[in-house]
Amino acid sequence: MKLFIRAIVLVLILFTSAQSRDYIIVQSTTSTANTGLLDVLTESFYEETGIEVRAVAVGTGTAISNAKKGDGDILMVHAKADEIKFVEEGYGVERFDLMYNDFVIVGPKNDPAGISILNNIQDVMKALSSDKYKFISRDDNSGTHKKEILLWKLSNISPEENANYIKTGSGMANTINIASEMNAYVLTDRGTWISFANKKDLQILYEGDEALFNPYGLIAVNPKKFPHVEYEKANQYIEWLIHGNGNRVIENFKIDGQQLFFTYN
Amino acid sequence: MLNYNQVIESIFISLHVSLFSTLLAFITSIILGYWIAINSFQLKKIIVSVLGSLTSIPPVCAGLLVYLLISRSGPLGWMEILYTPTAMIVAQFVIILPIMMTLIIQYVEVEYPPFKEELISYGASKFDLIKLLLKNRSSFYLTILLIGFGRAISEYGAAAIVGGSIDHVTRNMTAMIALETAKGNILTGVILGLILISISLVISFVINFLKAKN
Repeated sequence: MKLFIRAIVLVLILFTSAQSRDYIIVQSTTSTANTGLLDVLTESFYEETGIEVRAVAVGTGTAISNAKKGDGDILMVHAKADEIKFVEEGYGVERFDLMYNDFVIVGPKNDPAGISILNNIQDVMKALSSDKYKFISRDDNSGTHKKEILLWKLSNISPEENANYIKTGSGMANTINIASEMNAYVLTDRGTWISFANKKDLQILYEGDEALFNPYGLIAVNPKKFPHVEYEKANQYIEWLIHGNGNRVIENFKIDGQQLFFTYN
Repeated sequence: MLNYNQVIESIFISLHVSLFSTLLAFITSIILGYWIAINSFQLKKIIVSVLGSLTSIPPVCAGLLVYLLISRSGPLGWMEILYTPTAMIVAQFVIILPIMMTLIIQYVEVEYPPFKEELISYGASKFDLIKLLLKNRSSFYLTILLIGFGRAISEYGAAAIVGGSIDHVTRNMTAMIALETAKGNILTGVILGLILISISLVISFVINFLKAKN
């Protein structure tokens, strides 16, 4: 028995001493990861600085809660209100504007709800709240879901009363898949939409409204709250993304010739 | 469309993590399983029942449990193993250990008593008996290895939560399948799934070959 315990301790020590923190952990979202942008940024930053970036892509809500537990050095999400709260509550040092694109409302080609001819978001949400048409919600605390809730609020509508309001509780891909199978409407970020390979009969029906603006924020996790974070390296990455070559990498990132994310510089 | 380097990497990560977790769980379950099976003590029935129920622990739950332990805000956060292959090994270990232990305990409880009577009359010690059982019934242990490995390599939820599906580091085959599916590349996901099954087939053939040799 003693030998066994000693063996386990040895194994544990071997495993843990083999880890060294020459990498930074970024808590980010599926909308940035699934487009392939995060991987490209990671490669580029590593080539320039030799610093490894480990990006964890989960829902925005999960990324924020992970960061609040100290499981990350940087937070990169798209939920401005929550990001500001994150900094105010002392978890983050400062919020920077990283990049933006927009959300689009996607639906069946024939657009039974007729939203493509409307020109303000309130009318669109009102049309979609009718129980004649299905609307698919992610319902997973993601940045997209939070935006969706905001849009309903802006239009003074409570979508829960609609029997055709369907909550998937899952990621963008699964949600879009369900929308295309059910010939329904769904809100998605443009980046995911452009890179999504299974569009079937869906197409963009409403876009360009300023309410659909989708800004991404960048925050370093507060070293005063979590002394173990790689604050220096995190700041290097933030600098690189906003003022350095990272900026260019984001601007040059295209799928099918279309730019997915735009920077402020 | 599909980056072959990423696919090869994910295969390597899957094999590395799952082989390690299976081996560790196997050694642990032999030591603990034999001890529980051979001895009788008060809590034995409860422990065996709990182990049996843990065989159906949802992988996601195992993943969450390990995550809470190794998160920076958790008791083992200082180890800094979150988002590393080590964390994935631990998570898979937690999932397959109950299965392996339950099988070994069940098997030894049946095989050991008649064996024991026969050999104690020849003057053998408990340790000798264990050695003999291990050698003569190696096909049984190969089967346990196969079952454990199959469970480990096919698992997604736990390893993804504690590993983070990080490119080059913790994105194993099942995580890659999930990612490609999330990108809408359904066909790619299916192809990767077939590759995963092929690998399992090869391992299964190898194990059966070893069993036949014995």
